[in-house]
Amino acid sequence: MHPAAWIFWVTCAAIVAFTTTDPFYLGLLVAVAWFVYAACHVPGPTARSFRVFLIAGLVAMGIRTLLVFLGTIELGSVVYAALEGMRLAAILVVFGTFNAVTDPFGVVRLAPRRFHEPALAAALALAIAPRTIASVHRVREAQALRGLSTARWRSLPALAIPILETGMEDAVTLAESMDARGHGRGTRTRYRPQRWSAAAVATVLAASAAGAAFIVAATTRTGGLHPSTFPLIWPVASPWLLAAIGLLAVPGVIGRGRDA
Amino acid sequence: MGRARSFALGLTLLVGTCAPVLLSPGTACAATAAAAPHAALVVDTGTRTTTYCVALDDGSVSGTHLIELASAQYGLDYRFGFAGRAICRLDGVGVDGDDCFGAYPDYWGYLHGDGAGGWAWATGSAADHAVDDGDVEGWSWGAGDSGTTHPAPPALSIDDVCDQLDSPTPSPSPPAPAPSPSSGGGNGNGSGSGGGGGGGTDSAGSSGAATATPSSSVSSPSPRIHHASGSPAAPAGSPVAAAPGSASPDVVRAAATAPPASGGPPFGGLVTLGAIALLGVGGWFTLRRRKGGA
Repeated sequence: MHPAAWIFWVTCAAIVAFTTTDPFYLGLLVAVAWFVYAACHVPGPTARSFRVFLIAGLVAMGIRTLLVFLGTIELGSVVYAALEGMRLAAILVVFGTFNAVTDPFGVVRLAPRRFHEPALAAALALAIAPRTIASVHRVREAQALRGLSTARWRSLPALAIPILETGMEDAVTLAESMDARGHGRGTRTRYRPQRWSAAAVATVLAASAAGAAFIVAATTRTGGLHPSTFPLIWPVASPWLLAAIGLLAVPGVIGRGRDA
Repeated sequence: MGRARSFALGLTLLVGTCAPVLLSPGTACAATAAAAPHAALVVDTGTRTTTYCVALDDGSVSGTHLIELASAQYGLDYRFGFAGRAICRLDGVGVDGDDCFGAYPDYWGYLHGDGAGGWAWATGSAADHAVDDGDVEGWSWGAGDSGTTHPAPPALSIDDVCDQLDSPTPSPSPPAPAPSPSSGGGNGNGSGSGGGGGGGTDSAGSSGAATATPSSSVSSPSPRIHHASGSPAAPAGSPVAAAPGSASPDVVRAAATAPPASGGPPFGGLVTLGAIALLGVGGWFTLRRRKGGA
């Protein structure tokens, strides 16, 4: 699928996560992200980024909740902090899915030539997490094959040096390959431009409908986007907004059918 | 076979996530006891003012806990924000998010009664203010960042709000003095639909009219206070319920009601949990099938 469609998808999914603290909306969004990841992820090392971002999200949620225990502890404030943390976790999971389903360098190619350099920097920044995850995986595998213990904290320095070295090598390789492709010389032809498929168009339409629904709900203060924690009440969910989140699963449904 | 297993897994997930529902907190109804310490809470939405004679469950409570007590005793609708330290919504008026200044310049101004029927602008959070027996607390919706610009509730003392100790069934005789303040009252009702700003300035005008009446006579309640008659189902004494016999109810005294029962999760919640379980299981099977195919 066209990387621009994925950018659209992740933007709209992040808008949904950003505008609400309702656990129903956020829970459904995480489930949708998981479904899209399962159906559409690119096989390879970057696919692991979903799991890593999910763990990072859970850790962030835990830390956000534990911070409450430094102050006066009330059930309402604990729930409030947990919901705020859940929003953060949902955003991280959505970006984990985005990392797993796209090729970061495919994203760079989308940028107009004038903005190619900043786009490249952004893509490299985005790609740091999945690339590091992949290299940690490789190094640990290599160490395990040589009979070295990889589970202990003591093995951390032995892990860090090869990873830093790999990162350096990656950077040099990237610079050489950019130079070889005439990057920065002004002339650049587009090799094998990606086409907009019907699936990409459907994804863009569905995702923009979901994002628009939540923007409208946030500006008109409807739909119970922020359930009250003082007093602590059971959150309600609007069926329309739930259906809007469901629209974000469209790329997963399409990708699933195509792979089968 | 696989379908049956996925259904069973989904069902397990559903039951697991729904278990906390059964532990919905029970709500206790506290009745106003005559001898217990009590404080007055005055809520001015800009279009109507409701007073609450709140029985305190401790010698001294916080300003926010007073609102919680009024909710438990009278069914006052409220919502706190900023982690429970600010007031976002009272009596159906205000902000539904956690940013209580979401409707700025209109917001809930906080005032303390000065003991003589007047109001003093509060400088701190209601969560930190200690409310003692006999105190008067005021909340007023409107614009203005100080006590001089923000509309104040009508002047009320603790005896105006809590005189039921002397006379359990107040005499329904205010029709005689009713005509004199009816001009101010009609004014207040007329701009009721105007929203925060217009209603706020108008409320300030009517409060000025109220302060003109001598507040020294604590024995007789102000004629502009109307007692809500019955209607225990109404959450916070609605002006419609209090209307019989009175032309323009500016100030409504809330009738003690049982708080609305906090229901369990609505049907939409179960549907959501089902959808989450379905997507989770569906994703898991997709992943397994892709791994098997690769």
